[in-house]
Amino acid sequence: MGSALENYVNQVRTLSASGSYRELADELPESLSLLARNWSILDNVLETLDMQQHTLGVLYVLLAKLHSAGTANPEPVQLIQLMRDFVQRNNVDQLRFAVCAFYETCHLFTDFVVQKNLSILGLRILSRAIDQIRQLDTQLTPIHADLCLLSLKAKNFGVVLPYLDADITDISTVAAECKTQQQQQSQHTVDANNDAKYFLLYYYYGGMIYTAVKNYERALYFFEVCITTPAMAMSHIMLEAYKKFLMVSLIVEGKIPNIPKNTQVIGRFMKPMANHYHDLVNVYVNSSSEELRIIILKYSEAFTRDNNMGLAKQVATSLYKRNIQRLTKTFLTLSLSDVASRVQLSSAAEAERYILNMIKSGEIYASINQKDGMVLFKDDPEKYNSPDMFLKVQTNITQVLDLVKQINKMEEEIILNPLYVKKALGSQDDDLTSQHPKTFSGDPTD
Amino acid sequence: MHLNKYTELLERLESEELEQVELGAEVYQQLLAIYLYENKLANAKLLWMRVPDKLKEDKELSQLNLLNLALQHNNYTDFFKHIKYEWSEKVKAPLEDLLLKQREELFTLVGSAYVSIYQQDLLELSLLSENELKKTCAALDWTEELYGDRVILKPKVKETPPSRGNDDQLLKLTEFVTFLEN
Repeated sequence: MGSALENYVNQVRTLSASGSYRELADELPESLSLLARNWSILDNVLETLDMQQHTLGVLYVLLAKLHSAGTANPEPVQLIQLMRDFVQRNNVDQLRFAVCAFYETCHLFTDFVVQKNLSILGLRILSRAIDQIRQLDTQLTPIHADLCLLSLKAKNFGVVLPYLDADITDISTVAAECKTQQQQQSQHTVDANNDAKYFLLYYYYGGMIYTAVKNYERALYFFEVCITTPAMAMSHIMLEAYKKFLMVSLIVEGKIPNIPKNTQVIGRFMKPMANHYHDLVNVYVNSSSEELRIIILKYSEAFTRDNNMGLAKQVATSLYKRNIQRLTKTFLTLSLSDVASRVQLSSAAEAERYILNMIKSGEIYASINQKDGMVLFKDDPEKYNSPDMFLKVQTNITQVLDLVKQINKMEEEIILNPLYVKKALGSQDDDLTSQHPKTFSGDPTD
Repeated sequence: MHLNKYTELLERLESEELEQVELGAEVYQQLLAIYLYENKLANAKLLWMRVPDKLKEDKELSQLNLLNLALQHNNYTDFFKHIKYEWSEKVKAPLEDLLLKQREELFTLVGSAYVSIYQQDLLELSLLSENELKKTCAALDWTEELYGDRVILKPKVKETPPSRGNDDQLLKLTEFVTFLEN
């Protein structure tokens, strides 16, 4: 083992033993290039360190290994195993001193497994990593985006969905971490610039995952967060999210919902670049399935290039359904062949199949009479008096209650914030001084 | 019939998939069968997408996928056609449950969606023999009628029984009122 590496080990051991993790975390980044240069003998270094006691030392060795993965070409399974051991056995208290480095390790690890086509093996590891490093269950970390990426690559959403379902109330960013740790900003500026990227990616990937499991409402919310993030310039993540946002909102609502005013980026940059999609929206609003089919065919190349062809087909199906739903508002009974011609389906049998499926999924209420080939449209039989509806209302109430609690808590935090107090009191002081003479003007002793 | 009777097995299989590199067809078969039974069609579709190519040639697995596709497209005829197959021991139990569940679902659906349906159409949907169908319909108290030379069935709508106790509801309401008062 080279003497420089011996120094590294000694440094890690002495500082870890005396508990000066702060100092250690500040000094280790300087050894990173040294470690990466000696990638061939890093395993020897690992043998002399204990994951529990020398978490920081091991972390940087891991980071160096991942940095040099391109040249060293390590055995993937071995490296994954190492990472797994690390997230299972490390010492979280020590890890907190080097959060930025930990994030970077996770990002590099993600790239590595994606490249090796072993994404599915990384899911558990990253979920464990998130559990360790986040301070609240509702905190968003940059690792979330990595986990989403791996889930998409592995096409396995069982692990990631609980994370996506949690509403985020707090965001951990590299910039904020550096501030609290008062590290030199310079060495992490690159990472800090990526904060926005990981934030946007989380919502973009999250939206895609929800779209894949057909939870369109939630997907729409995720895309909306992504495109309404305050920004001066447009990110391409936002543009892609915007395209998907348009399509998903057609499926969910049949029109484009109002987008908050504070997002000039959409109007200025995104609209011109998503022309095809706006054409699609305009045609959809005319509710002619035939025209919609033609326009999807016309732009199929662009949609395929954007990997949005599947969504486009969903949009087409949703228009048929929406048109049938519209019929239920006008007619009480209608023959199946009339339904077919009005919504431009090819035959009465096809119309019957659509209606049957829609009845099954509860999108319309109707009954089919095969004897005379008629459909009888009914009103929503929900009388709001069933136990199920009651349960639904209850869950909604509980959610609202939680939200109220959360808002109260956040408000309290703001009220207690010294800066806010200073500002609020400051303006009051001004008022007081200006009013001062007046109060004394009417003083009887004057 | 409990919906969660396969939960434990499912959890074990899922975690196996997350940690092993080379998986046999069996794990995928069982997973797919359980997803189908639990009506997690999105999961089933994604599972099929991540099955390695060389395993896709597995006879039983591709047969399962035919079921999967039939369910995705709400195609009952295909479903009942493809489920008639010599399943191996490992997937037999969930698939038998699935068959029962689907049959029940079909009849509930037809019961609520049709005022009248030709017997022939229902036979094609459910792939039951005429006698079996007659028995099922009699059990559901459906009436039949002759229309020309074709038999028409007139389904009856089933009432769904209440699912929760009153005490529980009262408790929740109390909770809510307490909140409002504070």
